Amino acid sequence: MPIEARLSDIKEAPRTSCALGGALGSMLGLYGGVPILHSGAGCGLGQQFGLTYAAGQNSAGGQGTTNTPCSSLVEEHVIFGGEDKLRKLIRSSIKLMEGEFFAVISGCIPSIIGDDVDAVVKEFRQQAPLVHVKAPGFIGNSYEGYELLLEAVADQLLEPQPVRKNQINILGVVPFQHLFWKGDLAILKRTFAAFGIEANIIFTEFGALDRLREITAAELNVVVSPWVGHRVAAKLEAKFGTPFLTAPGVPIGGEQTSRLVRRVAERLGLNQEKVERVIAREERHAYRSAEYYGDAIMLGAPHALFAVAADSGTAVGLTQFLTNEVGYVPDLAIVTDDAPESAHEGIRRGLTEGLISAVKPELVFEADAHKIRQKLKGRAFLFLFASSLEKHIAGPEFNAIPITVSFPSFDRLIIDRSYAGFRGGLTVMEEMVSTCTGPL
Amino acid sequence: MSRHNTETVSNVDRDEGLNLAATTCPNREDRASGINVFYGKASQLVEDAKAGRLRNHEREFQQSSGCPLNFYLAVRVTTIREAVTIFHAPIGCSSSALGYRELYRGIPNSLGRPDFDVRWLTTNLNADDVVFGAGEKLRHAILEAQERYSPKAIFILASCTSGIIGEDLEGVIASVQDTVGAKLIPVHCEGVRSRLMQTGYDAFWHGVLKHLVRKTGKKKQPDLVNVASMLSYCWQDRLEVTRLLGKLGLRPNFVPEFATVGDFEQLSEAAVTAPLCPTYTDYLSRGLWQEHGVPFFMYPSPMGIENTDNWLREIARHTGKLDVVEKVIAEEHEVWVPRLHAIREQLEGFKGDGTKMSILGSLGQGRLLAQMPFFHELGLNPAAAITQDFDNLILDEVDNLVKERGDFEILVNTFQAAEQSHLTRKLDPDLTLTCPFQGPAFKRMKAATRIHSLRGDPMEISAQSGYAGAIAFGEFILRALRSPGFHQTFYKKTADSYKPWFYEQPDPLYFVPGKEAQEADAH
Repeated sequence: MPIEARLSDIKEAPRTSCALGGALGSMLGLYGGVPILHSGAGCGLGQQFGLTYAAGQNSAGGQGTTNTPCSSLVEEHVIFGGEDKLRKLIRSSIKLMEGEFFAVISGCIPSIIGDDVDAVVKEFRQQAPLVHVKAPGFIGNSYEGYELLLEAVADQLLEPQPVRKNQINILGVVPFQHLFWKGDLAILKRTFAAFGIEANIIFTEFGALDRLREITAAELNVVVSPWVGHRVAAKLEAKFGTPFLTAPGVPIGGEQTSRLVRRVAERLGLNQEKVERVIAREERHAYRSAEYYGDAIMLGAPHALFAVAADSGTAVGLTQFLTNEVGYVPDLAIVTDDAPESAHEGIRRGLTEGLISAVKPELVFEADAHKIRQKLKGRAFLFLFASSLEKHIAGPEFNAIPITVSFPSFDRLIIDRSYAGFRGGLTVMEEMVSTCTGPL
Repeated sequence: MSRHNTETVSNVDRDEGLNLAATTCPNREDRASGINVFYGKASQLVEDAKAGRLRNHEREFQQSSGCPLNFYLAVRVTTIREAVTIFHAPIGCSSSALGYRELYRGIPNSLGRPDFDVRWLTTNLNADDVVFGAGEKLRHAILEAQERYSPKAIFILASCTSGIIGEDLEGVIASVQDTVGAKLIPVHCEGVRSRLMQTGYDAFWHGVLKHLVRKTGKKKQPDLVNVASMLSYCWQDRLEVTRLLGKLGLRPNFVPEFATVGDFEQLSEAAVTAPLCPTYTDYLSRGLWQEHGVPFFMYPSPMGIENTDNWLREIARHTGKLDVVEKVIAEEHEVWVPRLHAIREQLEGFKGDGTKMSILGSLGQGRLLAQMPFFHELGLNPAAAITQDFDNLILDEVDNLVKERGDFEILVNTFQAAEQSHLTRKLDPDLTLTCPFQGPAFKRMKAATRIHSLRGDPMEISAQSGYAGAIAFGEFILRALRSPGFHQTFYKKTADSYKPWFYEQPDPLYFVPGKEAQEADAH
């Protein structure tokens, strides 16, 4: 990589942790998963403020923060190697920790000094379901860590098996990094269930090992991100023949949800008439509920300009929903997740095409908090859907009302909250109107 | 009082001094024989330490517990005003600082929060940087920080990766210092350098002493008191310290949280450096004494009534306020001591069988010294304590604590959640001070509550320092004893992290090899 490109990596407060953080967060999202860090002692604890608190003030649970086994490498290991320490740690972790699936996540130190972690992990393959995820922080961000974990699972754990009709996997929702991961996955599962589609959401369900092993039983992988999870999906296709389709983000509201369901149903060959019947039923109820916010929007805050500064999937979903279903005006969309160049065109289409608006948002790809801040100044938008980094500067500097929808979020507790599905738009409206409501 | 005065402080030979010409500080392991593995009687710990027998055994099972950079140093340095922090590190080493724009914002302006803006950058080291080096990136980041913000200081924090690949922080700084207005301060907090997180704080103070504290001129501010605080003080503590010093006609110079660069520069002009946490403040205090003649004391911290009395007396001794301090103390006692007695009466009667409530605290070294006497003052029985680490800097103080208050059990570990949970079950204290992030020790039917709040917390119930803090904490403990719903629910409804056999073992240090020999020594 030329030095100029490397220099452009310098960032103020980029909105993600590292590959190790992403792999660790994903392990914590598996109920029954036990992460074992082969790293410095701070690599896990650092995720307390840097990953789980930042993901809607979440505690990390019984396998996270100071519970996480860690080889806690120091200088003598740099000199003499950390393999023996890791061997003892894996042995004791399997003996002590409650859990059914283990992943050794190796960080910067062993990757630089060249520990043969694969060889050590191999010694324990017969003792417990165990994979090695090589995820040094210098190799990428949290999104990369999610891919690396699932790729390791695909390579080291999964076996081919007969496909189960109408079973799908949901990919592309990164635990903690995607603020609404828990709620979104639950809603997606429920949404598809209404159509007779069994969605394996992998995370947030007990029985982590079965959830993982069932990945290869799926008829189709559904990736709800314009770029995250694509690599895993491609690997699963190459290795196990599972095809995949991608959505530009987690669907928000009736329009996006119906669109995704139709695509999935078509790929699965479901009865179209029946699918349309269920869509009509779901939409009817959701939009009946939408009538409750009618005056709050049309009388209280109609045609407002808004901006998003969020990860690509959230940016696309919110921009489409607010424009097409609320009649809001998309002023600016800043994509903050450092999406790879190859994904930019797809994200651009998601943010500018199919909008029922004469105005298309200005689109910016930017991960540097300072540059994002400068970009947000001097605009006319009223609502700003961004991260908690913008919370306290939105009023004084942008004359806007902030709503935190993207990592990091230190300003709200997020557990079941979700904008996904037929009724997800209602939640967006509840939150948005609640920031400014008063006597009409 | 003789052991409290500056002339007799220390188990570290002051003649050795701090070597500020060096790039960084020595590790706590080397400077003060620091360890973070021990379980036994405090008297044994003291005896072993005096005999030089303490060893930092390697655990076969260990848990993530923090490193010199990510034991909250990142979230602290980034709060310094008029400064920029640069993490010369991969992207994840700084993510803990993502709350930087929000820290302290919950404190109302009416309580004295000024407007502020803090900033940090990461060089975001990648695989190519690991191979080819990233000095140019660091130089570029420094120039970028200067251009964006024209800060008065730029703190450059090292990481495991920058350390192992041999990045030359000093060389880069030397090459660019003349072209930027900001003072450039390298902080050698490479995670890999030490098992003891206090090393990270020493490294930070080393950088501050070497590069930031004003050297020229002999101007003194006779009413200025340096107060270097630990992570675990909150805004009300700050207000209480300010109030008490104000009554003596003195002003606090709080560092590092939320301080301006100017506050750091004037550290050398203060009349005295006073501890809120001696182990944390130690390196700074010694450095200011050695380089600038600013006296200091290590003990006590202002936690509890008697500790606060003596803290004020020590400060008064160095600021010529001995004539007023007793009057101030008497005034304060009139207000607060009756309230302490009322709390003490309730706590002593809480069990109804004439015995005191036993309390297990998970503490830092500084809290160990400050809080154990305070627990006694509250009428609690601190029969055991868990401390993050132990080093010779507090050896005499722990020795005195044992002699004055009696022996107690002590588990030295840095956030080892399994060991803490084990000990909590084994001792089954009436009240334990912990938090969910420290593992499942909080899941129990008997009482549990947090040990402290954090910096941005403006609530009066969270105070712990000074007289007001002593009362607030006492009342907080009472409230905790009367409202067990949270931890009882978690005990009944959620899973434990560890398998049951572990809790049946006699020793929390089950996974420390060679423990048998150590135990034989201990019993």
